[in-house]
Amino acid sequence: MTRKTLRRLCALVFMALTLGLLTTPPALAHGERSQEAFLRMQTIGWLDTNFSSTSVQQGQTFTITGTAKLMDQWPNSLAAGDPKIGYIGVIAPGPVVIVKERTVNGVSAPGRIEISKGSYYQYSLTLVGRRVGRWHIHPSFAVKGAGTVLGPGQWINVTENPQGFRNEATLYNGDRVNLENYGLPLVWGWQVVTVLIGLAWMLWWTVPKFHRTVTNLAVTSQIPLNDDGVAVGLNSKRDHRVVNWFVLVTLALMAAMWIYQAAAYPVKIPQQVVQFAPPTPTDAPADTVSARTGKAVFDPAADKLTIQLQATNNGERAVQVSEFSTSTLDFKNQAVTGGQVDRTLDVQPAEPIAPGETKQITISMVEGVFQSEKLIPVGEAQLTAAGILVFQDDQGQKSTAEINAPIQPNF
Amino acid sequence: MAVDAGTLEEQKRLDKLRQLVGRQYKYIDRKWDAVFWITAAFVVGAAADITKLLFAGDWDFWTDWKDRLWWPILTPFALIIIGSALQYIQWLAWRFPTGMTYTAVCLWAVATLGRWLQWGWFVHYPLNFVWPTTMVAAAIFADWVLMKTKSFVLTGLIGAIAFTFAWWVSNYVSLAPYLQPAQWMDRVLTLSDIQGISYVRSQTPEYLRIVEHGTLRSFLGEIQYVSLVFGATVAVGGYWIGQAIGRGLAIWPIGRFMKKW
Repeated sequence: MTRKTLRRLCALVFMALTLGLLTTPPALAHGERSQEAFLRMQTIGWLDTNFSSTSVQQGQTFTITGTAKLMDQWPNSLAAGDPKIGYIGVIAPGPVVIVKERTVNGVSAPGRIEISKGSYYQYSLTLVGRRVGRWHIHPSFAVKGAGTVLGPGQWINVTENPQGFRNEATLYNGDRVNLENYGLPLVWGWQVVTVLIGLAWMLWWTVPKFHRTVTNLAVTSQIPLNDDGVAVGLNSKRDHRVVNWFVLVTLALMAAMWIYQAAAYPVKIPQQVVQFAPPTPTDAPADTVSARTGKAVFDPAADKLTIQLQATNNGERAVQVSEFSTSTLDFKNQAVTGGQVDRTLDVQPAEPIAPGETKQITISMVEGVFQSEKLIPVGEAQLTAAGILVFQDDQGQKSTAEINAPIQPNF
Repeated sequence: MAVDAGTLEEQKRLDKLRQLVGRQYKYIDRKWDAVFWITAAFVVGAAADITKLLFAGDWDFWTDWKDRLWWPILTPFALIIIGSALQYIQWLAWRFPTGMTYTAVCLWAVATLGRWLQWGWFVHYPLNFVWPTTMVAAAIFADWVLMKTKSFVLTGLIGAIAFTFAWWVSNYVSLAPYLQPAQWMDRVLTLSDIQGISYVRSQTPEYLRIVEHGTLRSFLGEIQYVSLVFGATVAVGGYWIGQAIGRGLAIWPIGRFMKKW
């Protein structure tokens, strides 16, 4: 290859890389669409997710509340089909917000919880704005042996607080400390002291004229490995004395620091592991309506999903379909929920289902989101549409039924 | 007479070696020494950091992972490996008891720079949550043992044990403030637990934290001392892994291409 060709090749590679960098769109949010559709639809159902605010100042709190259901149709391929340990957390681009409080079914839950299929978890996450910027925040439900499923996300603006940010905690003795920098002077100070000792040791062995490095090889290759070379002048008795002093000084400093930490921080406990099963929520949605799904048809031209199902009302009051929740999307039947809705759910026939009645229902969603959200799993191993159907009676009491319909896409 | 002849021979050999120690070379001066020590620092620091992160990454990383059970077992093992390899190389080549300390200083520089730049400046985790452990004090003891015993077997045994205990003492001092109890979310937790809960780690749900997992728990409740003894034993194994790396990966290939080692 000639030099000219090589230069041209390098220029081409450089241009290709530059073009790639300039035309690549920024990566925003959290790649929630990258998870397979069946994972997002059949694992965790997200109901009534609410962000109390979309703009906070540094140090100001906002809450994320909602109900997460560990679905009965949890796939057998995840966590051996029997999820046991979970964690309700937050997905954010780093510590841009901090978690101040987390309750699950009304009980504070700092760590992991014991979970079971079919259970409802009413969560409340109190977050505090920390880093200035615009951030995409999600609640999340992580399951041991399976991974993390993201809930609906929201852009949150964190604006600057002229007084800065403090993350305060109260110690057992009443002292308030700022976790942003507490203990840092001790950490760095002590580490720097030990590094200075280490540097001094290295300087002793490398800088003086009587300690040469590279040229020693000519000598060391001619003496046994367990010979320190004192007899030939490689090392000396002075070296032995110096290293003894180093060790004594290091020992003394370590002893002093041990005594210091014992006196300065007399009460210490090991890291805590908190794990418990949250109580059953008293106002969880009832399961008084059952649903049997027929087929689901997806029309890619209209980006419309239609699901046929048979609903049986086993309750005592007439109910109507109010909502269909799948993955991070919520489709609401405006005729029942009232108010403004982001995504509409069309229910035919619209009449309520009487107590004891079994009715054929068709629900349709035409919002143009299925393809963009990658929720129609045409290229995947499981072609199903799944989610939670919410029914509501005239008093606002809710009941849910999970549905899982095989999709017949129009290719 | 035979004894005298042998002693004379030995004396001649030593005189020859003494002259060789002090010999001045035309093209090799102290600048070579400086070039070696400074350029090798990057490689040694990187090797030590990678080894540590592979074997004991999270335990070295977060304060809420620095527990009394797994932290003392895994971290000394991870730290001693590259230091042991450098000990072999530097003792073999120059009779310098500096391998462990050199590795410790380079590692500290690399690890601290990484935490400060990547985790502090780039993603804004507070540095009192992600500070790396230091092995410098422990390394001095290990190098001292080598200087005194001149034996890798004894250094592997006594030095590795001293290394583990010294490492734990010197890092427990830094960890102490974060083990203080505090009231949080209706529970008593340590400050390190609160740091772990507060500062969002999206892909690290709390159940992934391997702390207090294990069955060897009944030694009068003093789990950390049992772990330390076990950690010292594991560090002895790590020392010999490092020796194998130094001998097999560093020295043996060079020996193949040099006239005589």
